[in-house]
Amino acid sequence: MSSSPDETAPLFDISGLHYRYAGAQADALADLDLEVYEGEFVAVVGANGSGKSTLARLLGGLEKPAAARRALACGHDLLVEGGRTAARRDVGVLFQNPENQLVAQCVEDDVAFGLENLAWPAADIGRRVDEMLARFGLEELRRREPHMLSGGQKQRTALAGVIAVPRRVLVLDEPTAMLDPAGRDEVLTAVRELGGEGLAIVYITQEMDETVGADRVVALERGTEAYAGNAGGLFADAALVRRLGLGLPAAGELALALAERGRDLPGLPLTMDELLDALGGAT
Amino acid sequence: MSGREGVAGAAPDDPRGPGAPLSAGMSLTCGGVSFSYEEARAAIPALRDVSFELRAGGSLALMGASGSGKSTLLQVIRGLDEPESGAVLLDAAGPVGIGHAVLQREVGLVFQAPELQLFASTARDDVAFGPRRLGWPEAQVTAAVDTALDVVGLPPAHFAERHPYALSGGEQRRLALAGVLAMRPRLLLLDEPFVSLDPGTRRQLVGILERLKAAGVTLLLATHDVDLAWALCDELLVLGGGRVVAAGSWDFSTAGRRLLAANRLREPFFVELWRRLGRDPQRAPRTAAEAAEALS
Amino acid sequence: MKATIAQYYAGDSLLHRLDPRAKIVAVSALAVALFVRDSFAGLAVYAAAAVLAYVLSGVPLAWFWRAFRPLLWLVALTFLAQIVFAPGEPFFSFGFVHLSWRGLELATYLSLRLVVLVLVGSVLTLTTPSIALTDGLAWLGRPLRRLRVPTDELALMVTIALRFIPTLFVELDTIMRAQRARGADFRRGGLRERTRSLVPVLVPLFVLSFRRADELALAMEARCYRPGAVRTRLHPLHAGWADAALLVVTAAVIVAGLLV
Repeated sequence: MSSSPDETAPLFDISGLHYRYAGAQADALADLDLEVYEGEFVAVVGANGSGKSTLARLLGGLEKPAAARRALACGHDLLVEGGRTAARRDVGVLFQNPENQLVAQCVEDDVAFGLENLAWPAADIGRRVDEMLARFGLEELRRREPHMLSGGQKQRTALAGVIAVPRRVLVLDEPTAMLDPAGRDEVLTAVRELGGEGLAIVYITQEMDETVGADRVVALERGTEAYAGNAGGLFADAALVRRLGLGLPAAGELALALAERGRDLPGLPLTMDELLDALGGAT
Repeated sequence: MSGREGVAGAAPDDPRGPGAPLSAGMSLTCGGVSFSYEEARAAIPALRDVSFELRAGGSLALMGASGSGKSTLLQVIRGLDEPESGAVLLDAAGPVGIGHAVLQREVGLVFQAPELQLFASTARDDVAFGPRRLGWPEAQVTAAVDTALDVVGLPPAHFAERHPYALSGGEQRRLALAGVLAMRPRLLLLDEPFVSLDPGTRRQLVGILERLKAAGVTLLLATHDVDLAWALCDELLVLGGGRVVAAGSWDFSTAGRRLLAANRLREPFFVELWRRLGRDPQRAPRTAAEAAEALS
Repeated sequence: MKATIAQYYAGDSLLHRLDPRAKIVAVSALAVALFVRDSFAGLAVYAAAAVLAYVLSGVPLAWFWRAFRPLLWLVALTFLAQIVFAPGEPFFSFGFVHLSWRGLELATYLSLRLVVLVLVGSVLTLTTPSIALTDGLAWLGRPLRRLRVPTDELALMVTIALRFIPTLFVELDTIMRAQRARGADFRRGGLRERTRSLVPVLVPLFVLSFRRADELALAMEARCYRPGAVRTRLHPLHAGWADAALLVVTAAVIVAGLLV
């Protein structure tokens, strides 16, 4: 899934990013660096208040950075208004609340919204909408009104609407946080498929098990980077994971509880199988 | 609820004193409860002949797919809707007579995303809403509010005068819970209390519910999280299409597992772990801490 | 979800397929024509045209009746008001009620005119989905842009508002139930107490809506929405021969009604 960084320019080339909300005591983001390349799946993890959502908005060109040494999104300068507007075309952002992303009175019209905003000809919009509805399993819901959709269906509709505009990178801000297990599965599957097709993805979450399959993990703590590297490195540091306040699946919780009782397992297991292996192998 | 609640009036002085812990639980029996609601002039059956028992101080996990009737059942138990047939018995008192209405005031219902109901300008005022509606004297209200805020981990000294909307999402969720706990419910109904909670608050909420259980409050928890259900509840009630498909103790025999699977519920993590470690799944630990103890 | 007055009936009649702009113009013109001249003959012409349009729409009588029934009281009120206050020599008096032939005639005319007006308007709303209506009005309102009226943005606002109405109903119901579970009683007391009891319902609903507006605006910007920018539509409006024919027929009906 990852390409060699030397050959292509990064999709996100961010250095020294700062952001502070008006009237806030502390920086929401402080001196943050981030590079994301074509085809990469980067997970950004952090607890509430770590700056994750702020980062999502900045990456999408939806907010102006307070300062940065460099802030390029798909080659557009985020420090300049024109750059941010252009970035919104290349960077797709999916938010947490499915209800508050759907604008139109039926699924089909909502998926078309982005393309209408870009003044595509009607026939092209029609074709692209058909493609998206098929791709995300929404064909039968085409004329359905938003209030008749389940959480997972709403979020898939929102995702279809975001991806209807051809994007170079997709940023997702805790997209499954408000969904039930069925909805969560639907959305995670759809996102993994998009990643599998080569779309670069920045996946922001508080849950460790959603980082599975990521090429890299960046952990945020109070607006700064607490870890950046491959997933395995983060999983090996149980104390750091605990400190970051992330959500662990049961296997991970058990590993931490065992560590507290003096029985350290090699690495942090996230699944039952990994746990059984670790238990079998440990003293 | 009719105006009788306010009229039936000032609750008797709490004999346990203002600082007393939340009181012992209420028993609940549902007998053949059925309920339909109207949509587009058609009657949609939401609950069909639901019967089960929950002893005082017990804890029951209510599970089932979306639309299986969990929320409806909780609201019928709380008395927000009248069942069209069958009865809800609280402490063995049936629906006829004032006794039942009084008992319903001791049933607390925490809705999904309860922070949506916050409206007052201070945390104290919001939590005090319920107790004041019960007609308690102000001193008792204050004591109840302070206790409730402590129980949910929002110490009054720091939080009582804060504006609810200035609190974080997790704090708001806990504040809304305090608003229900301040009414000293003996039966606590919770509708998916863990949805969209950050991991830290999730852990806190589990702790709060464990303490309530320990204090003797009867707990009825609707959740889709089978691991949290296993951690907190002795018994299980599974609804499917408004009907009861399983009720009683957790059963991990072959038949039991098949029933869970048929209702798209997997086994709790620790149960499966115990099984795969060659240990008795019925004796599996409920929490990571218990499991770690057993494995150390 | 309770049906609102004159809600759209999904069908495939000739009227359904007409361009909303033509329908809006035709209905508006007919509505105005109804008031230009007082004549039973003219009213009969318009009534016949309205009934014909209704028949062509294919909307079941039961559906129309449901839309019309709430307005029955208005028609009755109009009738009674005219009977009581109309001029003319009374042939029957009882207290302050004076029945005169002139009065009866006027009452009948005004009531019938109201019915025809509602019928004409209903044909529009029953055969045109709200989104098409909004699009049609936005297009017709284009000239207002010269006066710096943001017609396209207003149209989008209306569409979004309509989209959230069912959602808000559900949220309102949920909040009311949650507060009832805390002992709130919305039916008790006089006007003042009942109004105050709505605070725990309205405040959360407002806060929820403001938060929603923020998030929705962000999501719209993320999908490249810019107020004032040119937007195309997935289903653009296409006026055709049938629409021109509608306008011609309507003009003929209006003239006939005025001359008869």
